[in-house]
Amino acid sequence: MRLLEAGERFGADLPEIGLDELAGSNAIVALRAGGETEAAPILAARERIGRLVVAFSGFKDGRGFSLAAILREGGFQGELIATGDLIPDHAPMLARCGFDAAELPVGASVEDWRRALGSFSAAYQPAADHAATVWARRGAPLKAQVEALNAELRDAPASEIVQAALTRFPGRVAVLSSFGAEAAVGLHLVAEQDASVPVLFLDTDRHFIPTLDYRDQLTERLGLTDVRSLRPVEAETHDPKGDLWRSNPDACCDLRKVKPLASVRPDFDVLITGRKRIHGGTRLRLPPFELVEGQIRVNPLANWSTDEIEAYFDANTLPRHPLTQGGYRSIGCWPCTQPSSEDEDARAGRWKGLDKTECGIHMPSRWVAEEIARRAS
Amino acid sequence: MYRYDEFDSRLVAERIEQFSDQVARRLDGRLTEDQFKPLRLMNGVYLQLHAYMLRVAIPYGELNAARLRALADIARRYDKGYGHFTTRTNIQFNWPALVDVPHILKDLARVEMHAIQTSGNCIRNVTTDALAGIAADEVEDPRPWCELIRQWSTFHPEFTFLPRKFKIAVIGAPKDRAAMRTHDIGLEIVRDDTGALGFRLFVGGGQGRLPHIASELKSFIPAEELFAWLTATLRVYNRHGRRDNIHKARIKILVASLGLDAFRAEVEEAFAALPKAPLAVPEAEVERIKAYFAPRPYAAAPPRFAAFDRALMTDPAFARWTRNNLRPHKQPGYAAVVISLKPVGGVPGDATAEQMDRVADLAERFSFDQVRVTYEQNLLLPHVAMDDLPELHAALGRAGLAEANAGLAADIISCPGLDYCSLANARSIPVAQALSERLSDPVFQDAVGEVRINISGCINACGHHHVGHIGILGVDKQGEEFYQITLGGSPDETASIGQIVGKGLPGEAVAPAIERVLKAYLARRDAGERFIDTLRRLGADPFKEAIYEAA
Amino acid sequence: MKILTANRLADGAVVWLALGGRWSTEFEDAVRLDPEPAAAALAQAEAQPGRFVAPYLIEADAAGVERRERLRESIRADGPTAGHSLENV
Ligand code: SF4
Ligand code: SF4
Repeated sequence: MRLLEAGERFGADLPEIGLDELAGSNAIVALRAGGETEAAPILAARERIGRLVVAFSGFKDGRGFSLAAILREGGFQGELIATGDLIPDHAPMLARCGFDAAELPVGASVEDWRRALGSFSAAYQPAADHAATVWARRGAPLKAQVEALNAELRDAPASEIVQAALTRFPGRVAVLSSFGAEAAVGLHLVAEQDASVPVLFLDTDRHFIPTLDYRDQLTERLGLTDVRSLRPVEAETHDPKGDLWRSNPDACCDLRKVKPLASVRPDFDVLITGRKRIHGGTRLRLPPFELVEGQIRVNPLANWSTDEIEAYFDANTLPRHPLTQGGYRSIGCWPCTQPSSEDEDARAGRWKGLDKTECGIHMPSRWVAEEIARRAS
Repeated sequence: MYRYDEFDSRLVAERIEQFSDQVARRLDGRLTEDQFKPLRLMNGVYLQLHAYMLRVAIPYGELNAARLRALADIARRYDKGYGHFTTRTNIQFNWPALVDVPHILKDLARVEMHAIQTSGNCIRNVTTDALAGIAADEVEDPRPWCELIRQWSTFHPEFTFLPRKFKIAVIGAPKDRAAMRTHDIGLEIVRDDTGALGFRLFVGGGQGRLPHIASELKSFIPAEELFAWLTATLRVYNRHGRRDNIHKARIKILVASLGLDAFRAEVEEAFAALPKAPLAVPEAEVERIKAYFAPRPYAAAPPRFAAFDRALMTDPAFARWTRNNLRPHKQPGYAAVVISLKPVGGVPGDATAEQMDRVADLAERFSFDQVRVTYEQNLLLPHVAMDDLPELHAALGRAGLAEANAGLAADIISCPGLDYCSLANARSIPVAQALSERLSDPVFQDAVGEVRINISGCINACGHHHVGHIGILGVDKQGEEFYQITLGGSPDETASIGQIVGKGLPGEAVAPAIERVLKAYLARRDAGERFIDTLRRLGADPFKEAIYEAA
Repeated sequence: MKILTANRLADGAVVWLALGGRWSTEFEDAVRLDPEPAAAALAQAEAQPGRFVAPYLIEADAAGVERRERLRESIRADGPTAGHSLENV
């Protein structure tokens, strides 16, 4: 649900709802109605109402919630905007009852509203927002949701995919970013909607120094307020000489990436990644939403081309990773990243010469364990 | 007992975060008291005469030892060492500081409890029969349905700003032990001719200034349509209930003013328009929840109850307690035990932290870690083996909890009244105390037998005086407390509203007058007749006379 | 004459306006005000929603609170007349 800052004054000068206007007109109109207005005449004329502004006459008067729900159930497809005596705590209810936007009262804090909107990450009961209920999520939990999301959003623009993730799983979403060559695009898409979404950076202790600088630069440029660097635990014990990457890169990745990421697993149901099909290899069939061990991975850039990425950088004047100058098209840890040539996969430079294409954080951990065992034997 | 999964826990945690934020916004001025009030109420926080009051939900009255101990702990740490159990099977703490409430809620969350929707104009805690899953006359255990309704109603986006509060009760047996007909919506589990499970749907019960007994809206709704019917009914109410007059805002007034048939037509129309598939009761979820309420691993009944029989013959106090405080259990060899919170001269429904801790211990030892709160403001250990009863009785006695008056005249329901409540006209507690002292003679109480005496400190009727066989209502006459007596109310399946008998009595005259009423009953009853039966047979006149007879 | 009372926002405690604009948790400290200063004091308390909830005036004379409100106000001042709080004050 969009939050319209006071001053946009949606609907203040719109005609109050009246059967007459509706009966005579064929045009698509915008109307204003009090929460107490009967739904039937609106539904009867629903094809011709492009926007309905529902005015709440007192913050304790909940009739507008039912009105919106009835309209949505009755097939009203126009835009529904709530206005009037609203408080931030109404936000989640408005969104669930089918409102597209709420016009904040004068003096209201957008910040309070945004926080209130994300108060709850789940809902027991079905409502007009069609969010999967807790009951559905318990039963056929995430798999069905992921399928539904893919069906709905497979070809949607990246910003919509990001928005769906943020609004349908409020408070349960984080961005996973390598602060690599193309990371700025995904981060910018998210920051556009909410710069306070946690950004997880796997600080393997093996990153190029320019990557760390780039992380700080992007954080500031995009106004990201919650960038968390996840560091390996007990690296000294498991990799005392610091050369595990040489003998067993899978174990190294497990130590420096998979485990640190798993440690924040309970905090997030959804991770937004920057993966793309053009990365090739195992990513050729990447859908926008996938389920990885009970966690949803969102890949808003899945079907972006290199050109689109380039254009996005330019359009938004995003800073480049310093190493992209030197032919690095996919940037990870320094021991395991080399430049790749134009006729290779972008990720061909990763673990070059090894039978390894993924670090494991996008793979089910059982698979990783099997891989480690297989290679070690 | 139902246990939270990750979703339940997370939602409660998110609510605490939200409420903590609301408290912070109130303290720093971003929320006015006007805006904050409905929000704090939806988390059970009232402002009473002396302090804030926190009402904690005990969904359908079910507790275990851990939960009861957590309540005891809250009473000790944030309150004055006691709590008050209510007729809607919740508990109230009378002295918490607003700034402590977020901490209390966190403590509660640790034992899977909350204060969500215990007040405010929303769907309140669902209540049920204290003998759910125990009573032999039960069609089906109502608790899984209560839990399902708890979940469905929690943070319902459409029904959180209703015209007025909304209470739902579910019973699973034809006998109504939960005052179901005094609720905005009452549900009775039934089976139709084909054996399919469903509900009788009642609507429009309520007490307060204009009391109503609920009417049957539908004689049978299939179980899977439960949410659709609830949605339809609440939607008609939310759209058309009065919002201009707080005394006329409950659904009972809407039903009465439209007439039951017209109201039914509205609900049926709303029901017809609803999308049925998304609202269908999720079968898998019902099964998942039912598993939590499976019968306990009871032991087989021994051929004879040696310890029980011995105690019966040697201990008259035990014998009397078993007569009055045991309720039959459908499992042979077990009984449900009412722990009366009505000691002579005590405050009805109050329990100290120590008592809560003791009951928690006893629940673990004797009742599969289960305790319940009853409509009558007592506690109940649901599954006690017969031969454990003597030991349990002795332990209860040591905790001051072996009062053998369950269901009798001194088992008085009372609201907090003017000693705590900012809406009160008169005190309730001192009247209850005087009455229980006056009626303390066990021989007299046993002779009188089953009678329901209820006291409210004002017309809001939290003490259910309208449905007491004998009701006592505090009124204020120019700053003096007076008490009106009502006769003939009843909370069960024969529910009725008591009638005021005449002018109010001063506080000290109440107990003697009630005693005369009970004596008049003893003098006039036919064999086997309960008080309410005699009253219904003879009418109120002889009892009125007894009330106003010069002492 | 009037007395100004309220509940404290943070903990709900009952307070009365005392001498010198001080607020006291003891009824004995409450000052009697003439109607005009009483109304002004009430307005002042209402203007501090961050400190007080539900401030209001009580009719009182030198002897105490006026009859109609006496019982209620005495219970607010002295606490419940019965029950467990008596043992724990
Ligand atoms: S990419 Fe290389 S250095 Fe980095 S964690 Fe994996 S194996 Fe270790
Ligand atoms: S009946 Fe009246 S006095 Fe008693 S608790 Fe309810 S509102 Fe207060």
